[in-house]
Amino acid sequence: MTLGYHPLVKRLLDGELSLAELPSELRAEGAEALRLVGAVDRTPLVLSPALDDRVMAVVRRHAASRGRRAWHWLTAARDVELRLRVRPVVWAGALAVAAGVALLLLARAPGSTPTVAPVALGGARDSVLVRFVLYAPGARHVAVAGTFNQWDRNAAPLVRAGTAGVWTTTLALPVGQHQYAFLVDGERWVSDPAAPAINDGFGRRNSMVAVTARGAHTL
Amino acid sequence: MGLAGDATDSEVVRAVLGGEVERYAVLVRRYRDRYARYAARMLGSLDAGEDAVQDALVRAFDRLADCREPDKFAGWLFLILRNRCYAERRRRQREGRPLDERDDGVAAPDRPDGTLEQVERMRALERSLTHLTPEQREVFVLKHVEGLAYDEIAGRTGATVASLKMRMHRAYDRLRDLMKEHL
Repeated sequence: MTLGYHPLVKRLLDGELSLAELPSELRAEGAEALRLVGAVDRTPLVLSPALDDRVMAVVRRHAASRGRRAWHWLTAARDVELRLRVRPVVWAGALAVAAGVALLLLARAPGSTPTVAPVALGGARDSVLVRFVLYAPGARHVAVAGTFNQWDRNAAPLVRAGTAGVWTTTLALPVGQHQYAFLVDGERWVSDPAAPAINDGFGRRNSMVAVTARGAHTL
Repeated sequence: MGLAGDATDSEVVRAVLGGEVERYAVLVRRYRDRYARYAARMLGSLDAGEDAVQDALVRAFDRLADCREPDKFAGWLFLILRNRCYAERRRRQREGRPLDERDDGVAAPDRPDGTLEQVERMRALERSLTHLTPEQREVFVLKHVEGLAYDEIAGRTGATVASLKMRMHRAYDRLRDLMKEHL
């Protein structure tokens, strides 16, 4: 087993020291270490030209099957559930209490479940009004972004409702399942405390809401 | 929105999410080779790296609606590719065929710009990299192959600079031992 490199030689390899800055007794070891990292091959690798076609072929297939799944989901019979929930949570000191989302059915088929707050929507039966509410008394700006607006942080700002720190907006969402989160002061993402959330796979939580042609509910 | 090749990542992501599936080819062309070296080094061969990049690009499409910050698509794609590389290594471990010296397809063929000794050392290093832990290998590749600084690596991987340095310094010691006949 060879001894490891001296800590100063490791700093040389990290680019924090030059060979000339090493004590003379370590320069031979330093030169050896530089030969090691000098053997790194940095030649750019070019993948097969066919990769693009292979990826796009799978992408087209997935896009098509996604469309079929969406059609089956839209046409399948299911129960409709409406909820109005406000739940306090503690969030990061500055935003001590938050409240959640209220989902209001807008476009409903004749004879369907009564809505919490009926509002006309110009006959668009594939959209549902969803009211987003966040209690954020310390915030200067709040927006909601999600799959329904391609996570555009500027598309759906919330407005203050009175002076109590409540921020709100109402959006017409298309039928489907949506993920979303609140963006506070343009930099802090906050999941909705009143809605279930899923891990987005990268350490963040996205809130979930499902919207059907006859109703909307948190998942 | 700009022309297909000039459009920003954010513009392309929004177009794809809006139903223009073919626009995804712009992102495929843009990133197909960018992370090839990383994937090939992490998995020990160019073929395995290419499979990982292809899979990552497809997974990114499937999960594009989850891309919260489309202007940071490149970093998001890297995380998907990184997860894919680690998953592949775990799969190989389960199947009892971890990376070994036969998976040295990344090593360059004879290089006209190097002496025989340099070429041998280069190949020896490629082989030696397969004996590092995945974490050591990753930090070595990102720093010395991709040329990233520790804080940039930390930003990509979520690890702290201190822990990255510790991994790297262990990698240096391990490589010195593995490369002793070539230094």
